Amino acid sequence: MTRPFYTPADVPGDYSAIGDPGTYPFTRGRLRGSGGWIQRELSGQGSPLRSNEQLRSLLAHGALGIDVIGDNPTMSALDPDHPMCVPAVGTTGVSLCRKQDFTELLAGIPLDRITLSHSLPPAFAIAGQYLAARDSGLDPTVLRGSAIQPPLYSEDCSYSTFLPFRIRMRLTLDSIAFSLREMPRFHAFLEDTYYISDGGLNVVEEMSLGLLEIREVCRRLLARSLPVDSFAPRIAILVNCRMDLFEEIAKIRATRRLFARMMREEFGATDPRSWSVNIAVHTSGLTLTAAQPANNIVRGAVQALAMAMAGVQGLEISTFDEPFRTPSAIAHQLAIRTQQIIQAETNVGAVQDPLGGSWYLEALTGELESRIDDAVRHMERLGDVDTLVESGYFRNIFTSVADRHSSAVQEGELRIVGVNEHVIPPEADQFLRDVAEKRFEPDRAHAERIRAWRPGRPDRPLRASLDQVRAASADADADLMAPIVAALDASATIGEITGCLREGQGLPADPFEFAARQLPAGVRP
Amino acid sequence: MTAAAVRLPGRVVIGTLGLDQHEVGAMAISQLLVRHGYEVIYLGRFSTPERLVAVAEQEDADIVGVSVHSWEFVAYADELLARCREAGIGLVFGGSVLTEQDRGDLLSRGADAVFGPYASEADMLRQIAAIVARVRGGDAHPGRISPAETSLAKTSPADAPLADRVIIVTGAARGLGRAYALELCRQGAAVVANDVDSAALKEAADAAGDGPGRVHPIDCDITDPGAPRVLLDAALHRYGQLHGLVSNAGLLRSGPILQLEDDDLRLLLDVHVTAAFRLLRVIGGYWRAEAKAGRAVDAAAVLTTSAAGLYGFRAEAAYSAAKAAVAMLTRVAADELGRYGATVNAIAPEARTRLTTWLPESPGDGPERDPWAAGHVAPVVAWLLGPTAREITGRVIEAGGGQISVASGWQTGTAYPLPPMMTAGQARDLMPRVLASTGSPPPLLTPDAPPRAS
Repeated sequence: MTRPFYTPADVPGDYSAIGDPGTYPFTRGRLRGSGGWIQRELSGQGSPLRSNEQLRSLLAHGALGIDVIGDNPTMSALDPDHPMCVPAVGTTGVSLCRKQDFTELLAGIPLDRITLSHSLPPAFAIAGQYLAARDSGLDPTVLRGSAIQPPLYSEDCSYSTFLPFRIRMRLTLDSIAFSLREMPRFHAFLEDTYYISDGGLNVVEEMSLGLLEIREVCRRLLARSLPVDSFAPRIAILVNCRMDLFEEIAKIRATRRLFARMMREEFGATDPRSWSVNIAVHTSGLTLTAAQPANNIVRGAVQALAMAMAGVQGLEISTFDEPFRTPSAIAHQLAIRTQQIIQAETNVGAVQDPLGGSWYLEALTGELESRIDDAVRHMERLGDVDTLVESGYFRNIFTSVADRHSSAVQEGELRIVGVNEHVIPPEADQFLRDVAEKRFEPDRAHAERIRAWRPGRPDRPLRASLDQVRAASADADADLMAPIVAALDASATIGEITGCLREGQGLPADPFEFAARQLPAGVRP
Repeated sequence: MTAAAVRLPGRVVIGTLGLDQHEVGAMAISQLLVRHGYEVIYLGRFSTPERLVAVAEQEDADIVGVSVHSWEFVAYADELLARCREAGIGLVFGGSVLTEQDRGDLLSRGADAVFGPYASEADMLRQIAAIVARVRGGDAHPGRISPAETSLAKTSPADAPLADRVIIVTGAARGLGRAYALELCRQGAAVVANDVDSAALKEAADAAGDGPGRVHPIDCDITDPGAPRVLLDAALHRYGQLHGLVSNAGLLRSGPILQLEDDDLRLLLDVHVTAAFRLLRVIGGYWRAEAKAGRAVDAAAVLTTSAAGLYGFRAEAAYSAAKAAVAMLTRVAADELGRYGATVNAIAPEARTRLTTWLPESPGDGPERDPWAAGHVAPVVAWLLGPTAREITGRVIEAGGGQISVASGWQTGTAYPLPPMMTAGQARDLMPRVLASTGSPPPLLTPDAPPRAS
């Protein structure tokens, strides 16, 4: 419960518990260079060629990084010419299913100078970027960016790939190990708490689930005899930012402290780079409203301002038209301009952690730190994560919060301007609606292009490479990454490779056969 | 007994379509329904129209609910609509990507409800309850409200030829619509009445008083694509059946072609033509489903045209054209719906209303003495809806101003051979002969020469 005001008596411990920027426990973040944060926007639409134009346009507007998201088929590791996929090709992201797609997507993008973040199935994202760089003559060791690793939660609250948990976890571990070896500057382990929380999780649920996943993956990497200081510096976190701004800033500061303590005290990291986690943020799509869409520009701006003051390393603003559609070009431009205005005109980035020392913020940071930590310990006492995943423990969390959020909005407990107060009738709500509601068609031509391309591939190496994937999947000790890279290189598609991963586990290659076999789960009173 | 019926749980199958993986909305609506006593069969992601409807049939569900967070629904909507229609299962779409345009589009294609970003929980629950009642009302489901349970008056057929009949009247707050609603009540019918003016509508409902029948006011705008469904739901929810429709709502946007704005034209067409068309589609769809289920349909629709639509009114091209469209809609709809047991006729009333201010002043000594009183037209409409007019369909009846007649339509004049690829010279020669062989059309009506004013 927030009090009317705070005093020095509310701040726990002395200054050493907070510490200078750049020093343990990193409450105040890493020391930031003069460049500020990486300004980027979530992008990807239609075919790889069309998305390439979009990326070039964003860079031309001054974006400093790229975050690519796949369309629904790509996120599901399915090919665009699958009958279930055609109506979805390219409408919510880029369609990627083969090496050539990555090459086309990244053509002319200066991968040695910008960061490329992947909101894509991680093993394929890493393999695709690696091959695209290699084929264009770029040394993969210069690549920077990140790949989201979602082994625990993705099936339950996001894009299902219809892979069993054990395979998802192996893909995570193998792709991180591959990246550490081949792309050492790349953050192969991006813990994404944005997507798990944007159904309505609160900050404690968001960060405790995130830290739980980080801890689980770290333990398994350690079990492979990888030294903690070899991988901990390559961990980053992509967090959510809702509208309770002090809570969001405090959450980030608490997370830095929890991460530093965990790495040093629990996992025994000695390299200071292992203690200071890189945190990027994506502003919440759930806080945006379909009513009065121009209001979302204001929401994005205040969220971005708060995050600039929190000292994040990277920032993406959910565009104002997000409640309706994949971002329009003008919405992307506005979001980049918002960041540029904050960076160039407000001077809030001149001082590191400018809000540090606020009695309220320090008290809240301390409170959230202990609540997040308690929640992590509580879940770890419940049992091993494999069991929690399979028993539906996490799914139950995601299911119940969706209802909690919508009830809070309906009852006015969560105040949202234009939704439960200051509402205007739909006919009066026209400003920017034409942009927001404009749609584009699924790229059926791209699906057709893939279908036509398939038969021309050299058959023998293709089949041999897919056999390798299938065999690796069946062998619990085998590395999955090498056969996946080899198969993509031999013109296999992501859908085919994923089908072989399923077959190696004794499942049908086509997930819809798999899906149809699962009985409907009743939600009954 | 209506309240008891509403409390019976509905069964709803909920899922997302295709690869639309955002389940937040589907989960939230599921929880909401469960909290309100519904049974939810949650199919989650990767549903196809085939699977949703197959599970709904297998589970004896009332409604299929689809949560929509990507544009893929566009590709699946037609199949889903067709399958639900065929299976007699309600269909509801929900999701913030649904625009007002989508809403109108899906409703007009037969969806039972569409909840976009503006939908409130209360509204969703109300509409879903009505859909369940309608779906169940159409069959022998235990939740059905039988006609015997309704509050319809039991009066003798002679006093009340419309006893036990349930009839929708649009635009019933005043004028002709009010007169129709009151007359239908007097003859024993239960009237579900709509108007945009809720205060006046309430007053009209109160005026029906304790007559054999009663008027249930429903506030809605008949140009809203969802309005026909709301009215049908209201009738079925309350009485489990619907026998008649009077599409009466109308308005006037007056002016010559050179002055009338697009918006005025659009409004005229929306109110007079599109609304009537949609009412026929939605209510006709219900009558067809009844007929296909083997139940005898004994239904009648009365649309509203006008002398302006039959003969034209000077300087009122838009209004005249809209009303002419209704006349032809009547003819063709009569043919189409006849096979399901419904008659469709039109009334061309001549009465003093807000739309006919040019009519002579009322004599001021009571409506009985006023040939232009709306009350004189109402018994004609009631008769068209009643048991002795079952064979009458596709006709336009002109009534008012002390007279009643049947209007008959365009006639083909004397026919001449049309020369193939006629030259300009041939046309110059032929056309005057063709035109001279057939008489001139009747003159346009004017305020100085209104119909039957002689």
